[in-house]
Amino acid sequence: MEVTTRRFRQNTEDACRNGNLRAVLDHATRYFQSKRAAALAVFDGREEHFARARAARLTALSRLPELLEQLEQNASAAGVRVHWATDAAEARALISGIARENGVRVVVKGKSMITEEIGLNEALQSAGAEVWETDLGEFIVQLAGEAPSHIIAPAIHKSRAEVAELFQEKLGLTGQSIPELTLLARQALREKFLAADMGVTGVNMAVAETGSVILVENEGNIRMSTTCPPLHVAVMSLEKVVATLEDAADVLRALPRSATGQRMSSYVSVLTGPRKAGEADGAKQMHLVILDNGRSKVLADPALAEALLCFRCGACVNACPVYQTVGGHAYGWIYSGPIGAVLNSLLLPPDDTRDTPYGCTLCGACAQACPLGIDHPKMLLALRQQLRTGSGFGALHTLLARHPLAYRAAAGTACAVDPDLNLLARLPGLPGVKGFARSRRLPSLKTPFSARFRALQTSRRKGDA
Amino acid sequence: MPPGPLSPLASRAGWAYAPCMPETMRAHLFIPCLVEDCQPEIGEAVVSVLEHLGLRPELPRGQSCCGQLAYKTGDLDGARALALRYLEVFHAPGPVVCPSGSCVKMVRTYPTLFAPGTPEHARALGLAGRTFEFCQFVAGELGRVDLGAQLATRACYHGSCQVDRALGITQAPRDLLRAVRGLTLVEAARPDRCCGFGGVFSLQFTGVSQALVEDKTEEILATGADMLVSAEPSCLMNIGGHLARRGSALPTLHVAQVLALGLGKGSGAWR
Ligand code: SF4
Repeated sequence: MEVTTRRFRQNTEDACRNGNLRAVLDHATRYFQSKRAAALAVFDGREEHFARARAARLTALSRLPELLEQLEQNASAAGVRVHWATDAAEARALISGIARENGVRVVVKGKSMITEEIGLNEALQSAGAEVWETDLGEFIVQLAGEAPSHIIAPAIHKSRAEVAELFQEKLGLTGQSIPELTLLARQALREKFLAADMGVTGVNMAVAETGSVILVENEGNIRMSTTCPPLHVAVMSLEKVVATLEDAADVLRALPRSATGQRMSSYVSVLTGPRKAGEADGAKQMHLVILDNGRSKVLADPALAEALLCFRCGACVNACPVYQTVGGHAYGWIYSGPIGAVLNSLLLPPDDTRDTPYGCTLCGACAQACPLGIDHPKMLLALRQQLRTGSGFGALHTLLARHPLAYRAAAGTACAVDPDLNLLARLPGLPGVKGFARSRRLPSLKTPFSARFRALQTSRRKGDA
Repeated sequence: MPPGPLSPLASRAGWAYAPCMPETMRAHLFIPCLVEDCQPEIGEAVVSVLEHLGLRPELPRGQSCCGQLAYKTGDLDGARALALRYLEVFHAPGPVVCPSGSCVKMVRTYPTLFAPGTPEHARALGLAGRTFEFCQFVAGELGRVDLGAQLATRACYHGSCQVDRALGITQAPRDLLRAVRGLTLVEAARPDRCCGFGGVFSLQFTGVSQALVEDKTEEILATGADMLVSAEPSCLMNIGGHLARRGSALPTLHVAQVLALGLGKGSGAWR
């Protein structure tokens, strides 16, 4: 997909003008938040469970190299072919290579952000394969030629009416209600599952002690993608490993509740190697691609390594007032919302994401929502420090503030010349002030508090004397 | 000045028994730049309330900006320089009281700007420990919730992100307001949702900032309240500025202003 993070600010302005989008997002994010709140309300000992999930993730990060080696050993022993990829290009080449070697013509995919991150679909298509997204939301955005706009709900930005129109246009199928539309998608996809030569999925967790890959979903399409075709390729970024099945269980207690407000998702698949002799189902050949793509660099940065704890539940995204207003596409790449602003900044070149850490009021709703205790505002501040872009307004203010006499003189002059800040709003170099003033009356400068306070004290002293 | 006993101060913090404290305890005023130049009435109300409680407010000289703007725009050196200044400005012992959650949060962040073990770090820890947000100081540290204020009004309280979440002060302002006789406290639909200000955010992402302040204002007006009250001057400026743009006359007041009014000490505090 085209990366538009450089246009982040403009994207948000455009999105704000799209009233339809705002209404759809408002409805959807409220829906997710209320489902989640209801699930958490009846989750006994939830703080303790969340702490256990965090501990499992922390263990994974602190023992990453060792656990990944263990994962490789145990997965290989179970018959999985394990591959390592440093970056997106290597991963694309690797997976296209597997497809070519096996003469793959049709690929079915389970929803996965990691294959979006590496742009796998385009690569497989140029290797001559037909690629079908089989998650309903992903299927919708694929038909529309768009990217997902939410880490767990790819088509969250589309209304039912828009989906109905899309199906009519692209598939020639007519449906109105959600069950109808879902059935249409199911029928269209069923043929693809049966025709597929290869299934590609992400990985929610990979268990080092058993070499298993765990996949969490609600539609059953991931299980179909891993069992119908003879060949299954699972792609994981390296932080997805956990040490033990016990740890995986701790994560599983928190993830669905925080993501969709379910006690457990409809399907949890634990895949330990391909189909073995005498087994009735499962892929005949299974590959696991372990991808770095910038993560090991992030892990080495103490201010930002926390981002790798994330298990992509989306709670912070739904809680974010900026996301609620502009949606995911405005962020300019596949990740969005609070954790997305952090990930985009970490995974894309710094020059492409100079505005990204600034698209946040630091309100902290994200950190409050995160079951793993990730502090997004702190990370966004760390990113701002690393960028050192600052803001002209901030720099001027700081300069003056370091010299209180100059500061008072500047404020005094402004108060005398332009108390209502009318001139300020018209200065050409300050488009932001103009934008701010468009919807607010600017504050007026008044006789400063310090002058009033000292005058009061003086008059009281005189009164006492 | 009413004599106001200081017993509740007792052992709460070291500053209560700081030396050089006469019979009346002094409180250092930490006045945010926005209050200094644009909302001086908030500072005046703080003075009225503290004096009513028997404290002697003092205004240490040389205040400009606590460094929040520098810190939040990634300028650590600038923030550190301003923090050093503030350590000087507020070097005298005794509590420091500030009518802004975000500025207090900044001072609480000072210790992270200096290496542990350095004298600056120790001083920063000391200052962070005796710097209080106004409502927390009055209701929490002084233990004074019912000040005897009286004001017949329906007040909608906006719990700002910095007071509510960053400092975790959710009850003190609400308790103070509820104790005002005649005052009915109401909350907007999403009381803890951001008003969209966010400092430089409001200058760089003007569309989103505007959308958020519109949402916030709608929800506040829907309560039918007579006034909007907050403990964060920047939120008051943001929401108040938007209310003025859309022609609404809804007053926007700091908690301190409501208390001062209720104590009959309001001057032209209504905006
Ligand atoms: S950062 Fe936290 S809340 Fe956000 S998606 Fe990750 S785990 Fe969920």
